[in-house]
Amino acid sequence: MPFRGKRSRKTTTINLLLGFIEPSSGSAFINQLNVHENIKATKRFLAYIPENLMLYPNLTAIENLDYFSGIAGKKLSKSQLVDFLEESGLQSDAFEKRISSFSKGMRQKVGIAIALAKDAKVLLLDEPTSGLDPKASNEFGLLLQKLRTKGVATLMATHDLFRAKEVATHIGIMNGGQLKQELVAADITLQELEKAYLNTMEYKELVL
Amino acid sequence: MIFNTFLKETKELMREGRVRIAFFIVVLLLGIAVWISARQYQNVNEQYESATATERGLWDNQGEKNPHSAAHYGTYAFKPKYPLSLVDQGVDKYAGTSIFLEAHKRNEAQFSAATDQTGLARFGDLTPDFILLFIIPLLIVLLGYNSFTKEREMGTLTLLKSQGISNWKWMLGKWTALFLPIFTITLLLFLFAGILLSSLKDFGVFNWGSLFMMLLVFTIYYMIFTNIVLLISAMTKKSGISLVISLCVWIVTCLAAPKAASNIAESKHPYPTRQEFAANVLKDKKEGLDGHNPWSKEAKLLEQEVLKEHGVDSLHQLPFNFDAYRMQKGEEHEAEVYFKHYNYLKDQYTKQSKVYRSLAAISPYLPTRFLSMSIAHTDYATHWDFADAAEEYRIATQKFLNDNFAQNSEYGNWRYQADAEFWKTLPKFEYDPPELNAILSRNSSNLWIMGVWLSASFGFLAISIKKI
Repeated sequence: MPFRGKRSRKTTTINLLLGFIEPSSGSAFINQLNVHENIKATKRFLAYIPENLMLYPNLTAIENLDYFSGIAGKKLSKSQLVDFLEESGLQSDAFEKRISSFSKGMRQKVGIAIALAKDAKVLLLDEPTSGLDPKASNEFGLLLQKLRTKGVATLMATHDLFRAKEVATHIGIMNGGQLKQELVAADITLQELEKAYLNTMEYKELVL
Repeated sequence: MIFNTFLKETKELMREGRVRIAFFIVVLLLGIAVWISARQYQNVNEQYESATATERGLWDNQGEKNPHSAAHYGTYAFKPKYPLSLVDQGVDKYAGTSIFLEAHKRNEAQFSAATDQTGLARFGDLTPDFILLFIIPLLIVLLGYNSFTKEREMGTLTLLKSQGISNWKWMLGKWTALFLPIFTITLLLFLFAGILLSSLKDFGVFNWGSLFMMLLVFTIYYMIFTNIVLLISAMTKKSGISLVISLCVWIVTCLAAPKAASNIAESKHPYPTRQEFAANVLKDKKEGLDGHNPWSKEAKLLEQEVLKEHGVDSLHQLPFNFDAYRMQKGEEHEAEVYFKHYNYLKDQYTKQSKVYRSLAAISPYLPTRFLSMSIAHTDYATHWDFADAAEEYRIATQKFLNDNFAQNSEYGNWRYQADAEFWKTLPKFEYDPPELNAILSRNSSNLWIMGVWLSASFGFLAISIKKI
């Protein structure tokens, strides 16, 4: 269920779910656990891919995956690591290459592999498709759909209406930190979604 | 998690060009420094052996001679070079290596290496202690300044946090990754030095215990630096700023603080100038008995005292040569004067050392330097020790000679000559530097200060890491 809208505070929302910032009021819950009270425990379910996912440039894809899943407390064999990278759709000749030569799309695939390796139940994505070429964006969409079939709940913040309609089950439109509209992706067309989005934005401008 | 982070940090370090170059340079410098020092050590030791043997030969073979002439002829006490000076040269370069022992006069140690060199010697030598004390801390700064800031700058910090990282274990991993390569270099150097020293012939008082203690001192020094550099990296936001602050700390700790400490110590407890010192000694000497002057007031007094004591009324009736007896009494007076004035110098030195020790709290460099020099027997205290031992030997030698003179001749007989074999009966000069235990108890405050530095810096690091 993607969100969108400039200055909509979607990154803030994600940070709240990650426990990076404290809520000024109310609380965020993951798996019925209050995030703020269970910062370490809720992290176990979470995987997060920031807008510009940065990995260690001097390490290879496998080494990065190994390190980050090690931090999450997983000990994986080389063949398991390779399996996760394959599952994330990274071309196999890049496994042993250093991240410094990777494009954003490739780094995100490693990010997905990290999420897979962690066996995350919740995936938080912040603008994952911005700056991706259409093919990479399409691959990423397919990957998210595959994760959905595995039972991973995904929260994706994006401006990409097309990708949102494509991969989401539920779409919420946020503005100024508030959820303005909630839509079921299957019930609307892309045109209707765009209209709803523009209406919400205009509403904001009217208020201003 | 600790081991993971350690492995990852090590891999990252090894793949960075600057790290490889820095490491290569340090190892190369160390290799050269050890090689040069080992050769110098061997050289000096050979010189010491041959000088000691030659000088003793001259003394033993001076033939029939009046003992007091022999006293003026004199002999030398040579300061041996200690094996661990291979690692830490200390003040050896500036302290003299030999003391001329003669009648009536306490001489300063002469022939320091620095006097044989040009003004360039002031810029310092490439010695292992220079690298151990200055360059390796700099290496720690260069390797560790961006340990935490790079995670912030690269953006990997958010991903790490979302993976539920434990800051404490993360820090320990980074700490180990920074410290272990440094420790490996140090360990290799000390092992190398140990093997080199134990393979040399006549390696003197070398023992592995002292070497191990020195290794421990430097290990603690580097641990403190590792803590400080990581602390700065954890507390700053940008790598550049972290680097600048770390370098400032290095400059203050290794360069500014020691110089400031010696300036403060010197100005608080100044030494007298050489002229003052000589004038004071001369003045006091004149106030007492002069062995060569039988007509002075003190000489007459001594004469009457001795006559009364032996119940005779002429010096000729004494069972010994009164001239030699007076000579010995004069010698004793002079020795006392020297003792007093040198004690004053020593007092000033002790006070200066105390100032140093109290200032050691401002920089971990100071206690490290003092401990390492002491253990290597290249500090100023050992030099004092040696000079005192030489003076004691000088006094004993004078008594040995004067007694022979007094017992084997009668009053007024200055033509008496001792047997050519007599000189060989003079015991040899032996000097044993203080044992490791004595050195450590003398430096206990330095050990304490290092302990406080170590635990405080680690404590601050542990606190700062929670806020990342």
